[in-house]
Amino acid sequence: MWDIMKTIREINQRIKDGDAVVVTAAEMTAIVRENGAKQAAEEIDVVTTGTFGAMCSSGAFLNFGHSDPPIKMSRTYLNGVEAYSGLAAVDAYLGATQPNRNPDIGLEYGGSHVIEDLIRGNEIELIAEAYGTDCYPLTEIKTQITLESINEAVMVNPRNCYQNYSSATNSTDETLYTYMGTLLPNMGNVSYSSAGELSPLLNDPYFQTIGTGSRIFLCGAQGYIIGEGTQFATEVERKNGVPVSTAGTLMLRGNMKEMHSDYVRGATMPKYGSTLYVGAGIPIPILNEELAQRTAISDEEITCRIVDYGVPRRSKPIVREANYHELKSGVIELNGVEVPTSPLSSQKKALEIALKLKEWIDKGEFLLTVPVEKLPSKGRTVKPLEIQKPRILVKDLKGEALILAHPTDAISEVARKMVQNSINHLPVVDEGNKLLGIVTSWDVANAVAHGKNKLTDVMTKKVIIAREEEPVDVIARRIDKNKISGLPVIDSDNRVKGMVTAEDISRLIGGD
Amino acid sequence: MKAWLTFSPNIVSKPIISNLVKNYDITFNILRADITPKGGKMLIEISGTQQKQAIDFMGKEGIHLNPINKVVKKDEEKCIDCGACISLCPVEAIKPAEDWTIEVDDLKCIGCSFCTNSCPTRAIRVME
Repeated sequence: MWDIMKTIREINQRIKDGDAVVVTAAEMTAIVRENGAKQAAEEIDVVTTGTFGAMCSSGAFLNFGHSDPPIKMSRTYLNGVEAYSGLAAVDAYLGATQPNRNPDIGLEYGGSHVIEDLIRGNEIELIAEAYGTDCYPLTEIKTQITLESINEAVMVNPRNCYQNYSSATNSTDETLYTYMGTLLPNMGNVSYSSAGELSPLLNDPYFQTIGTGSRIFLCGAQGYIIGEGTQFATEVERKNGVPVSTAGTLMLRGNMKEMHSDYVRGATMPKYGSTLYVGAGIPIPILNEELAQRTAISDEEITCRIVDYGVPRRSKPIVREANYHELKSGVIELNGVEVPTSPLSSQKKALEIALKLKEWIDKGEFLLTVPVEKLPSKGRTVKPLEIQKPRILVKDLKGEALILAHPTDAISEVARKMVQNSINHLPVVDEGNKLLGIVTSWDVANAVAHGKNKLTDVMTKKVIIAREEEPVDVIARRIDKNKISGLPVIDSDNRVKGMVTAEDISRLIGGD
Repeated sequence: MKAWLTFSPNIVSKPIISNLVKNYDITFNILRADITPKGGKMLIEISGTQQKQAIDFMGKEGIHLNPINKVVKKDEEKCIDCGACISLCPVEAIKPAEDWTIEVDDLKCIGCSFCTNSCPTRAIRVME
């Protein structure tokens, strides 16, 4: 064990006296490198951290106050975004990712945007519906509210500030729109989300000072950690003491009426959903030499996995590991190719937040707290959700007789096969049954209309396929996304095994 | 100079751009082009000693030329300097400064809109 060199109470006294020495986590890295951890621990009292990232698991409890006559709100809409109202009469929880109920607006203005507008002081339209009771007779309300006018607005975020987070890339040949941003095809880019050496939970990786009741910077206000966040884990691979993947998380609370729009922002990840950029900063008291060493961690010493989002499964393949110094350099090598990288969280804002927190402490406006209970530092894993119904794979679908076309087939022959078998698609294969293309009844009509006789001139060569081992649900999404009606099933040797159509899948889903 | 060229349907079959490059001492770069039998638009960058004569020639041939000062515009209020756009830019026109302020180089920008469509706060706009 490391000797305790000072207590939080002593640090708070120095803050009050204006004598506390406060530095940011980035500055601490250089200080320890120069003077060593022992001297740094003697000289430095507090290290401030910061992050400004997209944190979907965020939201706000709103208490609108009671109207006269009163209403027991069972549904509430704020600028068209529904807030969950299955609470007492005028309480609601507005989630950051809730889309707008107007489908034309949808993801472009969701719960996170309402939160930002409230914090900016903008007027919000409140529509409330109710079934009416003896004590709450009103059945509907339509009015304008502001953050100031409503009774209370408390941000409560179930999961913020992931300790570390895997970076994303995409091996498929189509662009993917994810919560990690837009991922270009063929590993065209890499997106990372952590603030690295400034990130709060990477600076106290075993939660020696952080816990329930820790006072923090939250969106420009003084907020609190109210416990570990959801999906909290400790049993993960670590390098230099810090997890190389997702691990610790925080549940945070703050009074929205004290927040500032500089440090919170509603956003939309294109074709994914709305999300809230949350600014959070945590002060780490330097109570001993070990904490000085931990807070000195640099981008080079923090490892992060780069995973392939081209595989839409719970466990995604790891492409490689990289440190944040490499990721922040702007390019990283993937399979011998230099690939550009993007941060998803604002590195600039992260530093601004660490500096703002430092300023508060320097001015004596922010005192540290002793946590009521530290966050768990061992024994925690994340349980998956097992779907009890057995998962149906493409190969489990009952296949019908395999009907194929060959590149030398005459158009008339292809037309005959389609009509005889009442089918609309025909995979075109070579001698070894390897897929060359696909031809549809429309292609045949097109060939006839333009006097084309060769099948290879009208077939589609870039074919969207299904693999035997893929779950049917993934194929349903693929059919939907590509607006196609069927696709060939391919085995691991690229041989055609059959066709799966939208009808096959809807029959399966409808048959449940 | 960057400019949008507008082609009317009656001139899309003429080899105007080819003649332009052949007859005048100019450097000509096509940044974007969307031309169909129904007409279309092309974003170009043009420079050289005979730039003015070249522009006059295009005017005579029926191309409407609309010079632009800015291809792309970043809304400083909306931008949170997250940098999601950086790796999407095909011409490396978006780079972080030393302090991680996201900077867009208008001279490099070809107006492809990849960044516009992927900006979480809709802070970048391509000027039409």
